[in-house]
Amino acid sequence: MSSSDFAAEMLQLAQEAPAFQPSAIYDPDGDCIEFIAKPDSFYGERIDDLVTVYYSHESKEIVGSLIKSVSKFYREVLQRVPGFKIEIHDGRVRLVHIFRARLWTSDLGPEDVVTVTYQKLLRVAEDTNVEAELACA
Amino acid sequence: MAKNGEGRRAHILLDAFDPGTNGVRKVQISHRRMQAVAKRGIVQASECAFIVPAILLHPEAVFEGIRWDEDEDKHEGGAGWQCYCGIPPNSYRTDGSAAPPYDDEVYLVFINSERIAYNWRWEKCDPDDPRLPKGHVERFKRRIK
Repeated sequence: MSSSDFAAEMLQLAQEAPAFQPSAIYDPDGDCIEFIAKPDSFYGERIDDLVTVYYSHESKEIVGSLIKSVSKFYREVLQRVPGFKIEIHDGRVRLVHIFRARLWTSDLGPEDVVTVTYQKLLRVAEDTNVEAELACA
Repeated sequence: MAKNGEGRRAHILLDAFDPGTNGVRKVQISHRRMQAVAKRGIVQASECAFIVPAILLHPEAVFEGIRWDEDEDKHEGGAGWQCYCGIPPNSYRTDGSAAPPYDDEVYLVFINSERIAYNWRWEKCDPDDPRLPKGHVERFKRRIK
């Protein structure tokens, strides 16, 4: 498909799309969950091997994140926190539980900048109350 | 446009720079992802519509073997997972208007070993080389363009 045809189709999809709502979508092509809380332009900053945080270009606030290697993360969490399973319902889990599981299985201290960033991300996820599919569950 | 397969897993084929031949090859984008991005507003839709194809076809750099990014396929040592990097002619503001690219950022498009572009975004640039992403030496195994 030419670039111009692709652009036209993409913009057509956007025109037909419903109004923005926060979302967390699992992508099997990247084995990742992308969380989008606001429709802002953003840039990504990796905070560790699991999460890239999305910051709004305008407000500099957290507006989303990318959770990578979801299958591996799920296996590791179940090894360390088997009770995580009870938070999964029909293959879906509230995003806050994923971030909380990461914090609870981390060796980082509460003052560490990564921990603080996770806590901010957790609050954004709580505010939006989104669920993500855990295809590997 | 060519669509590879039908239904939930249908992919669209786009031209991309081939670092192996310096020619052109095909990269896929899933229609499902396009639909998801379309729901995120005009900024995300415009980036997908205009920036992603431009970076795929005219990257400043292509990296292979995503190292400590857990995007990689550990069993293959990250082989085939690539990151296209460049500075597009435009960025897009919240109202959908085009503007110059961000001064200290580059645009990255990630593709997996099946040549499916699965993620893309702005990131901060390397302070020593603003055409490349911050931390590129540690993040990738090799630069192939």
